[in-house]
Amino acid sequence: MKYVQRLLGLLPALLWLQQSFAQEIRVSGVVTSRNDAQRIPGAVIRVKGSSHGTQADADGKYAIQAHTTDTLQVSFIGFQTALIPVGNNRVVNIALETADSKLQEVVVTALGISKEKKSLGYAVQELKSKDIAEARETNLVNALSGKIAGVQVTNSQGNLGSSRIVIRGETSIAGNNQPLFILDGIPVDNSQLGIGTGRDFANAISDVNPDDIASISVLKGPNAAALYGSRASSGVILIKTKTGKDVKSRLGITVNSNATFDRVLILPDFQNVYGQGAGGQFSYKDGKGGGLNDGTDESWGPKMDGRLIPQFFSNGEAVPFVPHPNNVKDFYETGYTLNNGLAVGGSSEKIDYRFSYNNTKQVGILPNTGISRNTFTASNTFRIAPKLTLSTYANYIRSSADNLPGVDGRRGNSVTLQFIWFGRQVDVSKLRNYKNPDGTDYNWNHSYYSNPYWIQYENTVGQLRNRFFGNARLSYEISNWLTANLRIGTDYYQDRRKYKIAYYTNGTPFGSYTEDAYAVSETNGEFTLNAKKQLSHDFNLDVLAGGNIRNNRFEQNYQQAPKLAVKDVYTLNNSRDPLLSTSYFSRQRVYSTFGSAQLGFRNYAFLNVTARNDWSSTLPVENNSYFYPSVNGSLVLSEAFNIQSKALTLLKVRGGWAQVGKDTDPYQLINTYPFNQPFGPNPLLTVSDKFLKSDLKPEITSSTEVGLEAGFIDNRIRLDLTWYQSNSRNQILLADVSPTTGYLKKLMNAGEINNKGVEVMLGLTPVSTRSGFRWDVNINYARNVSKVVELDKEGFLNSYVLGSTGNMQVLASKGERYGALYGTGYLRDAQNRIIVNADGTPAIDPNKKILGYYTPKWTGGIYNTFTFKGFSLGFLIDTKQGGSMYSGTNYTGNYTGVLATTLPGRDEEHGGLPYYRSGQQNIQLPSHSATAPGGAEVHHDGIIFDGYTADGKKNNVVLGAEDYYKAVYNSSLNESSVYDASFIKLREIKLGYTLPKTLTDRWKIQTVNIALVARNLGYLQKHVPNVDPETAFNTGNGQGLETLQIPTTRSIGINLNVSF
Amino acid sequence: MKKIFLLLAIVLLASCRKELERINKNPNEPTTVQPDYLLSNGIKANVDTYWGPDAAMDGSLLYVQYWSKIQYTDADRYIAGAAGTQTVWSNFYAQGIEDFTTLAQLGDSLHNPNYKAVAIIMRSWIFQQLTDLYGDIPYKQAGQIASYLTPVYDSQKDVYTGLLTELKGAVATLTPGSNNIDGDILLGGDITRWRQFANGLRLRIALRIADRDNATAKAVFDEVTAAGTAALLPKDAVVKLNYLASPNQNPVGRNRETRNDYRISKSIVDKLKALNDPRLSIYATVPKDTNVIIGVTNGLPSDSAARLGFSKTSDAGAVFTATTAPAVLFSYTEQQFILAEAAQRGLTAGTAATLYNQAVTASFVQYGLAENVALAYLAQPGVLYDAVNFKKSIGEQKWLALFGQGIEAFTEWRRLDYPQLTPAYAGALGGKMPLRFKYPSSEQSLNGANYKAAVARQGADLLTTKLWFDVY
Repeated sequence: MKYVQRLLGLLPALLWLQQSFAQEIRVSGVVTSRNDAQRIPGAVIRVKGSSHGTQADADGKYAIQAHTTDTLQVSFIGFQTALIPVGNNRVVNIALETADSKLQEVVVTALGISKEKKSLGYAVQELKSKDIAEARETNLVNALSGKIAGVQVTNSQGNLGSSRIVIRGETSIAGNNQPLFILDGIPVDNSQLGIGTGRDFANAISDVNPDDIASISVLKGPNAAALYGSRASSGVILIKTKTGKDVKSRLGITVNSNATFDRVLILPDFQNVYGQGAGGQFSYKDGKGGGLNDGTDESWGPKMDGRLIPQFFSNGEAVPFVPHPNNVKDFYETGYTLNNGLAVGGSSEKIDYRFSYNNTKQVGILPNTGISRNTFTASNTFRIAPKLTLSTYANYIRSSADNLPGVDGRRGNSVTLQFIWFGRQVDVSKLRNYKNPDGTDYNWNHSYYSNPYWIQYENTVGQLRNRFFGNARLSYEISNWLTANLRIGTDYYQDRRKYKIAYYTNGTPFGSYTEDAYAVSETNGEFTLNAKKQLSHDFNLDVLAGGNIRNNRFEQNYQQAPKLAVKDVYTLNNSRDPLLSTSYFSRQRVYSTFGSAQLGFRNYAFLNVTARNDWSSTLPVENNSYFYPSVNGSLVLSEAFNIQSKALTLLKVRGGWAQVGKDTDPYQLINTYPFNQPFGPNPLLTVSDKFLKSDLKPEITSSTEVGLEAGFIDNRIRLDLTWYQSNSRNQILLADVSPTTGYLKKLMNAGEINNKGVEVMLGLTPVSTRSGFRWDVNINYARNVSKVVELDKEGFLNSYVLGSTGNMQVLASKGERYGALYGTGYLRDAQNRIIVNADGTPAIDPNKKILGYYTPKWTGGIYNTFTFKGFSLGFLIDTKQGGSMYSGTNYTGNYTGVLATTLPGRDEEHGGLPYYRSGQQNIQLPSHSATAPGGAEVHHDGIIFDGYTADGKKNNVVLGAEDYYKAVYNSSLNESSVYDASFIKLREIKLGYTLPKTLTDRWKIQTVNIALVARNLGYLQKHVPNVDPETAFNTGNGQGLETLQIPTTRSIGINLNVSF
Repeated sequence: MKKIFLLLAIVLLASCRKELERINKNPNEPTTVQPDYLLSNGIKANVDTYWGPDAAMDGSLLYVQYWSKIQYTDADRYIAGAAGTQTVWSNFYAQGIEDFTTLAQLGDSLHNPNYKAVAIIMRSWIFQQLTDLYGDIPYKQAGQIASYLTPVYDSQKDVYTGLLTELKGAVATLTPGSNNIDGDILLGGDITRWRQFANGLRLRIALRIADRDNATAKAVFDEVTAAGTAALLPKDAVVKLNYLASPNQNPVGRNRETRNDYRISKSIVDKLKALNDPRLSIYATVPKDTNVIIGVTNGLPSDSAARLGFSKTSDAGAVFTATTAPAVLFSYTEQQFILAEAAQRGLTAGTAATLYNQAVTASFVQYGLAENVALAYLAQPGVLYDAVNFKKSIGEQKWLALFGQGIEAFTEWRRLDYPQLTPAYAGALGGKMPLRFKYPSSEQSLNGANYKAAVARQGADLLTTKLWFDVY
């Protein structure tokens, strides 16, 4: 002990000794960015090896006391730390290099705050503007597909429509599982209004113009997003838009032009041997049963061998009955997207400005469909006073469509329904003139359908959306370590749809007209105080505190003239019957306070804590306040233990725990009585079919995440590993209950769902030569395991219904993976063999069973890029493995006999068995040439179902092909139409070329970039026939049910970007 | 100073909370309900279900061979669609049982016992339809979500006897002359008529269980008849909902506006023809091309059905398919058939043959035919009441009289086993006929344990499983 005391006593003397060698001087200077010579306010200047430090002021100027022998350590996020010996210089101007290595990477985090990636205790992944703009996806969500670990995108059908995005699996049993979109700090709406109206309207985020995006950060779960509160439990997608600062060119003008062409990627594989009819017979008279099976919309008719049969176009004359193999294919057109944009921007000492205009015209693959969009953006920053900055961002979007493609398989508006219930002999080109002189429709069938061109040209759905979103931010630097921010933002849109059904349309002889109008808005006001302070040589602190008020409004106005009085006039006044009208209005408000703190130690160890409290109007007063914290930390081992080397460039571990609370929709507490259409003079009120809950509690999601980041061999191998687990409790479920309770649904605070997963991102640079050739490979892999732990506390509920079609339900079932496909299956014996009925058809198990899960086991992607001088070539392959889907196209097409899969057994040539009919029984014959007793007709389309009788004998009952396929593929038996939805897709190929500077300089142009982009090129692996396994029908949770999808498209486009 | 700030903060917070509560007040729908609106809705919604596509058109009307199909013949071949049975179940329970349970409670809280009694009568009528179709059903625990999230299935016996008790109570509660009820689109607020309807339902149920529990049945008949003829429907009265023009049209009329899938069954056409029954030209239309009423055989394969020709076969008559056609819930005709059989079985006094003749005559009158036309008809040997084989006489004539009332006719056919019907030509039940509806498959996932118990008690959840009342 004594020795220690003595040593301590010596310390001051030693320090004095050291100081005596150097002279203390005052050093001052300016910190700038070497890249653009901009000054860097807030840069931290420290004397290396001491606790002594300061920060650059608003003009980037600094002054510090130091010794001539000292070294200044200058750092700022986004820049490489510089070490500059003081020497005898009194003025030391410092130019910082922009950070480009993995270690110095800066990412945008919650509330738009840029942070060094190494300080974060959770996984964040970013996409830069180039990746987004060049991919030219018209729906922004699709651009994220395959590029980010753990992000699952389900694509649109056709080339218009909605896409669904989910990060790290579904955390909410019933609620929205899509992430929150934040644009420049302000939430923007991504809802899909009008689900189930027969049109797949695009989700709202598709309004954002990709050219305006500077970067997208994906915050994958509560750990990263806790500060955003309620809506962040499914992650956050942070979009940062371009500002005048991003404009690098001389004149500041950028022109972008793009043309993309879309063709059908996958069409059902149709048979071209048998035509319309039933029982092998067909003859057309009036198309609604007047002739021989001419009302039948199936292809179990005669062979299309040129035999003479009256057909729809022949006026009763018998004409050759021949196939038209491309009849469906030829109906689809080449869709295209033309996109032209202009941006002007620049920055000066006082102002950064950027204006952009973009026009997108999209034409669908279905005739007479398309949407066009005009986007105007203005982004400005005004440095009003030395310490006061005002930034504004305004975006106005007008999208309009005369007609959008019909979905959901409705007769009045879906052509895919008609093509899967079809006569394979129908020459679709003969239907092009779809109207008879008397105004009625001209078609191959009049019992169920209107002419497909009639559907496209007469029964249209138009949409007009006017949207404004923007924000204004006032930022005041109270002192060099304290900043105050006030931000106000809004997102407002009006969306009007007009549904027309023409007079004489099959099923609606008087037509109808509907107007559906929405007004949606969200406004946010936010105040924050941000303090950054170097506490000592070792510690620095970054604290933020603030509050937010959010207001949401929603209004819907729906009016329908159910039967038109006069044809071709589409107004609500033109109605035979009283109008059907509904209106709905809702409001919601959330008050929040929040805070966060980051404590950094020697720039290699970081501790982050956040806390937030929300008060939501949607919850009962006694439960409407909820608090949730988070904590995470990161430790850069390679710096802490000084083991950084060329071989090991980075080694970082991170981890954290977070909680997020979630409220619900408005008006979920008190039961109300809905109106029904009055019965004559009697108004009708009914008891709601939803039983609400007056003591609702907020939903709580807790999440734990740990990760590892490493860089090897000069960062040519980059690894990022994440393991996470999240648990959502007290879920607010509007659960289906037995109708015998008197209600169809009950709102409850129940349900617990657990998600566990790993994410791996591996970046490789196998080749990087001095000549400039570089090959990068980015691999991502994500595996998510979900489990529904509990539904209701009492244990009554075993399943929550996410979606359904017929007998088939998509469930969240207790103890199961999320998204179980629950339906009717074959009845099987103890040896798992299918049991057949006495009539030779497969028996159906009266107990429904789980036939698969739509949620994939894992997803992944590989992105290769090759760059050489001005050229870059990239291709993306991505995959989803281990999910299932129920295919309505396959089930219907096999039932109706239009698919090629219904050929086996249909005749001798296709392996059919010979038999004759005796009463209701089929008797098999030994050979096709055998004759039947009594001269009965010999049939050649016999098939024996591969199964066993209940007493274990091999089935030997012959069924006619039509009976066979109808027995196996029908609405009572789901199992036969459930397929493995796994796939590997060649998602994207991109070839870019930037013209050499020597050339552009001669033309007095800054840069010219040309890119060829091809998307959705094809499948390397696919198990489900006839359809695309990755199609969204809406953005809800009831996925995995394919119902007569519009074919997805393959697109090829060229993009030209010129800046002056 | 500090205290003032604290106080201010508390006041501010409290006002914020009040504001939040105010924002969450639903401006779209009322939180309380008037009994008359609820009554109108309950009647309309449930008669729609009763007369609608799932319970009647694609179900009981085909099974009892009133109608058949010429397109989409699956339903007629006993291949029951999943959605249909679900719709019947969901609508009757979630719209019917719940609306009328709420109305009964309103009757109590508003001190208007007539509303309560009417609600109980309508609810009993719905429960009766449900148990007739499905057998064992949730009854005692149904429609009480706060207490029972997964209601237990009661045996059919308990349902019928429970309904008898409830109806008896309702009859006792009804007080004509006071406590007016509004919104009664079925009986125009006529409390006496409600009492007669309720008594009719009691007799219907009593006869239904007579093969199983003769004593209970007898007690009900004794009680109801003791109250005199005023307690029963007067001559030619019909309890029916008169539909209005679109959009309040008859469900059958709504179907015929756009679809052409149904025909009248060959079975009933043949029977009417065999008996020279003048109701034939009312029940059926004359097809455009042939001028001869032709019914379609039940359960043909689609191709053979379609081959018969759309304009060569008869649809049901305009009395049933018109936009404003009524839906019949109960009638004097049915009441007299019930009394005739009761007399035959010794459950009441009276002469079976006389009551039988009254019933047939009432049916004629119900369809605008003169009583003397019925007189000649009744004299035919094929119609003449046969006390020895009363099930045949009553079964056949009741079947002819109840045309259109699918559920009741289907149930009575199962009980009486007359008329003798041939199963659908290409039926999917191995030559058998449906004897009930299947439970909706959602019950397996939403009320699994109780569903399993019911199936274990009643027999497999198949169309061919016999229900408790159906002894023979």
